[in-house]
Amino acid sequence: MKANRKKRKDRLPGLAVLPLAAFTVFFVAIPLLYIAALSFLKRDVLWGVTNEFTLENYTRMLDPLYLGTFADSLELAFLTTAVTAAAGYPFGYFMARLPKKKKSLMLLLVTVPFWTNALVRIYGWIILLRSGGPINGFLVGIGLIDAPIRFLYTYGAVLLGMVYSLLPFMILPVYSSAEKLDWSLVEAARDLGASKAKAFWTVAFPLTMPGVLSGVVLVFIPSVGLFFLSDLLGGGKIMLVGNLIKNQLLVARDWPFGAALSLVLMGMTALMIALYRKAAKARDLEGWF
Amino acid sequence: MKKTIAVMAALLLAAVPLAGCSQKPEEPEKVVNLFTWDTYFPQDVLDDFTAETGIKVNYANFGTNEEMLTKLEAAKGGEYDIVLASDYIIDIARKKGGLLEELDKSRIPNYGNIDPSFQSQYYDPDNLYTIPYAAGTPLIVYDREAVGFEIKGYEDFWNPALRDSIVMMDDGRNVIGITLKTMGESFNTTDEAVLEQARQKLMELKPNIRALSYDNPQGVVGSGEASVGYMFTPQVLAALEAKPSLEVVYPEEGLGFGIDNIFVPKNAPHKDSAYEFINFILDGEVGARISSQVLYLCANRAAEPFLPESYKNNKSLHVPSELLEDAEFIEDVGEATAIYDRIWTEFGQQ
Repeated sequence: MKANRKKRKDRLPGLAVLPLAAFTVFFVAIPLLYIAALSFLKRDVLWGVTNEFTLENYTRMLDPLYLGTFADSLELAFLTTAVTAAAGYPFGYFMARLPKKKKSLMLLLVTVPFWTNALVRIYGWIILLRSGGPINGFLVGIGLIDAPIRFLYTYGAVLLGMVYSLLPFMILPVYSSAEKLDWSLVEAARDLGASKAKAFWTVAFPLTMPGVLSGVVLVFIPSVGLFFLSDLLGGGKIMLVGNLIKNQLLVARDWPFGAALSLVLMGMTALMIALYRKAAKARDLEGWF
Repeated sequence: MKKTIAVMAALLLAAVPLAGCSQKPEEPEKVVNLFTWDTYFPQDVLDDFTAETGIKVNYANFGTNEEMLTKLEAAKGGEYDIVLASDYIIDIARKKGGLLEELDKSRIPNYGNIDPSFQSQYYDPDNLYTIPYAAGTPLIVYDREAVGFEIKGYEDFWNPALRDSIVMMDDGRNVIGITLKTMGESFNTTDEAVLEQARQKLMELKPNIRALSYDNPQGVVGSGEASVGYMFTPQVLAALEAKPSLEVVYPEEGLGFGIDNIFVPKNAPHKDSAYEFINFILDGEVGARISSQVLYLCANRAAEPFLPESYKNNKSLHVPSELLEDAEFIEDVGEATAIYDRIWTEFGQQ
């Protein structure tokens, strides 16, 4: 191994990696170590932290109250992932089967919303959903309902916003794995007498699983962190882990507890990725950069 | 790999002395470094200041009071000449010591223009460090027609008729605070038994909350999404602008109060410019221009004759002084902060 490395004359690539390495050390590793160290300190009553070592910030999280906040966040993330998978899979799958021209048009349409800032798009939803908004106006207008329905500032509105924001992250990986799918295998299954549904479930679906899995990771992880959606569409009534961390830093001025919460959240994310890698085994990380 | 580590170590070492000598030599040009929220000092006032005194204005922003104190600490009370921040954070900075400059009032001829009812507060009892800039009292605004009864104070928020119709600031200290007020307690109680009672009472408020919003409660009331709001002064004005039929209420249990103040950091690099700036701000005509733009209560007595009629006739900007006297600040509660945070976290749970 060592001799092999020397032979490769890796001096130049080594230098090329330097900026990235420096960036990673200064802006990722050192801040992370700082947060880790902070999470074992005690909050100073007046301001900042004291130098006392404590595990209290971690034991405090075992309080059913804070566990409940984690549970709420995870529940929303799971629901978001399930709905995006249910909606995104057929979309990506059938998109891959379109003729080439339509395919690129669809691809463009899926990515177009990303050209606009996410906050602006969410404000668009606020306008659509509110009592005096066009959706309620239409429903009242056609006589389906008498009084406006309260769509805005509900759990459903948060879920809608989450699914809307993250749907492309499910569609695109599913699309790319469905596109690579060897359709002759599906045809072979059909030739051998499998029904359409059976051919899909036994051949096409397992072969597109890598796309679904990376879609799940790409949707689940950000959905734990998108707490601004809960603030805007949910009316700030549901406190997610992100809000809790923000409150520790800005309101309670309890930086150590905030640091500990962030680390646990990162740990959960890392666990999720580890599970994914295990599930995907040696398969390519579809859509993962 | 070893080589990479060596290069990194060298870079790190090189960075240390650089950080040590970042103080620049004294500039010959006259400048003042301001540090506050974006646009809190109106641009036309700053332009006039430069035109009148020849002092160039550098404006640095912070997003939160906490960010301000962190940066001021990192700069060891230097770098900035004028800081404009909220009462409670100034209290923390004062208690920490070594960050605030004791003001030499002989260098501020307009000092006497300050309305004394905004002075001698808990964060600066002897008026050594601060100049009040703007003050606010959160008030109730509501749509009388939609609500169907008269709202007199915080207690009315618990009325079952208001199900799903109230918007408030997304801030635990304020919302728990008004719950305490309905029980005849202080915003700043640290009594655990009282806080436990407040927690139970607060949970009963949940069905009536339509939304919690720190930045845009005026939009929620203005669009009719909620019919009752409890919000900060400029937001009350914005809500009234969006919907003039709204009524403003001074809550009968007592008002909350907040004052944003100017102070000079201990090691400010241009103290002379800082004094000139403070004196300029305290001029009556300038003070009126500031208050009518930032839309907070005016702490400058000399500004009174220059204030526009629309400002003077506004109920939310002209709170009767006897009410202001009984108004209470939200102060730092020390160890009890954890209890407040716990209650607020529980309130946010499904």
